[in-house]
Amino acid sequence: MNVIPETRIDRKAIKAWRLTALIFGIFWFVPGIAYVPISLEINKFDPVVLLFLIVPGLIFYVLMGLFIPNLRWQRWRYDINEDEIDLQRGFVFKTRTVVPINRVQHVDTNQGPIYRRYKLSSVKISTAATTHEIPALDDETAAEVRNKITQLVRQVKEDV
Amino acid sequence: MSEFRRQHWAAAVDKLFGAIKQNFITFLIIAFVGTRQSDGGYFMYVLYATIALTFFSGIGSWYRFRFRVFEGELQIKKGIFVRKNIFMSRERIQVIDLTEGLVQRIFGLVKVEVKTAGGGTESATINAITFEEAEELKRALRTDKTVIEGEAVSDSDEAYVEEDEFIDEWKISTKELVMAAFTSGNFGLIASILGALSGQMDAVINDQSIEYVKNSLPGLNNVTLIITVVIAILVISWTFSFLGVIFSYSDFSVKKTEKELLIRSGLIERKHITIPFDRIQAVRFIEGVLRQPLGCGMLYVESAGFEQNVKERSIVLVPFISKAKMQDFFDRFLTDFHIPELDVTPPKKSFFRYLRRPNYLLLIAAPIAWYFWELGWLLFLLMIPATILGFLRYNDAGLHFDSKMIAMQFRNFNRKTAFIRRKRVQVIEESTNPFQARKNLSSLTVTAASGAKGIGFSINDLRSDDVSRIREWLISGETDYVTSPTES
Repeated sequence: MNVIPETRIDRKAIKAWRLTALIFGIFWFVPGIAYVPISLEINKFDPVVLLFLIVPGLIFYVLMGLFIPNLRWQRWRYDINEDEIDLQRGFVFKTRTVVPINRVQHVDTNQGPIYRRYKLSSVKISTAATTHEIPALDDETAAEVRNKITQLVRQVKEDV
Repeated sequence: MSEFRRQHWAAAVDKLFGAIKQNFITFLIIAFVGTRQSDGGYFMYVLYATIALTFFSGIGSWYRFRFRVFEGELQIKKGIFVRKNIFMSRERIQVIDLTEGLVQRIFGLVKVEVKTAGGGTESATINAITFEEAEELKRALRTDKTVIEGEAVSDSDEAYVEEDEFIDEWKISTKELVMAAFTSGNFGLIASILGALSGQMDAVINDQSIEYVKNSLPGLNNVTLIITVVIAILVISWTFSFLGVIFSYSDFSVKKTEKELLIRSGLIERKHITIPFDRIQAVRFIEGVLRQPLGCGMLYVESAGFEQNVKERSIVLVPFISKAKMQDFFDRFLTDFHIPELDVTPPKKSFFRYLRRPNYLLLIAAPIAWYFWELGWLLFLLMIPATILGFLRYNDAGLHFDSKMIAMQFRNFNRKTAFIRRKRVQVIEESTNPFQARKNLSSLTVTAASGAKGIGFSINDLRSDDVSRIREWLISGETDYVTSPTES
């Protein structure tokens, strides 16, 4: 009864997410970096404060860059059959989303610059109310998934 | 309707009024400054010129504005300098709403808004035509469609019902209207007014002003002064919401035809809203804090697929209705829905989770407030009402699902019950955090479409098994009560 979806997303997702996290993770250091000139300007530089700003930034950076992508990938599962699209994700807060096939309005595939580097695409599924994303499928799979959903939707709509 | 025609000339008056209404404060300031000016009232000339310009542009746009229905298409030509043609084909028109503003009512006219589904912000507004014209327009934009469908229907030997015929009508009595107004106190609004004022307190309330009030009202000390101010704010805001309800819901009625619900309401500005049955996504019943003890609440209907820029389209279906009358209302107007026994509730093991949940934020906020503000520890006292709220939430949470629909009752602050047909549920989401997982609990969110976006209804800490059953139900339509454990 409570069957967990089986299909995993592409393993390259880990690399792509890691790269993204390492690039955008630089922002974790912004408070620390900004602190130096500002505090020097008003002659209140304190290395302890700097440490307090930099160390959490570093922890977040490492966590986001090295560990989280792995966990995220492990927990991302999806399934598409003639009745429903079933998505499960999240390693702390686990979320399971069920979209009945005949509620799907349209399907898009997207590819950002980092995904392109790894030949990955994400599939976006829109209903009348919400949009859901299956991230990081390799390009062929993404196209397949998109076509499959479109076909299933057409089938179901004809049945009705 | 196949010849181009103009609106009633009151459209120009309406435009002028609209412009004045919109820039009322600007006008007021200019008039104020202008009359005080010693050098010949220069500002007043600007004011007169602006009004005159608005008036002439109103006449101009009235002159240019022409509309017709031609070959199943609403065609509008308008614009003084930039000419604009709007063509809306009948198939794409979703809803035709009528509004009678002040100007329209003086001239016995009506404003027509024609709305299409999807695709940008297209909606055509005809500002002032007579009721007969509006009816004619409505018929012209719809009849052919019904004829086509009517033929299909008559093939299957079903009786053809005239579309505009009213089958049933629901009104609210004056007593109900007054009760609705009495209980309309909006605590959120009051809180925000108080908040906004407390920011300005220092400017208004200083030693001098307090001294002044104290002298003019003897027998007040600091505490009673604060209480007086708070009560004054409560009374004022309550009066506003009282009048607001009276103005918006006087003369209220819901009428049912074969295909749609027609809602009419308003004292000065009267609105006519059309809701086709096949656009209804969900119905919500909201029992406000003051209304719940009376066993009454407000009924909303969620409707989908209008302008993309409108996030939600929640329409007041009945502004005041007692819970006892709801089943009757559903039977007569919304036969797809019924009021069920809420037989799926959070289990006993989630009781303390419910009590704790409203307190988490306080546990973070109170120490911070205490750190910055000497009396910040008082925030800890809020944990008592928060816990009571948690208790109420636990008591009120519950749902029911059957082959046709799902009903979910929950409380954030007001108690709400959402009714959604199974076929209209867009998405079901189950979320589990590690603490819930340990106890086999999950939170459920059911999303229906509303406007161009969705509206979600959530119940926390249900049995994971129950949530799985609802997930299965969404796909199969089977309720599968056999596997449900009675208690765990």
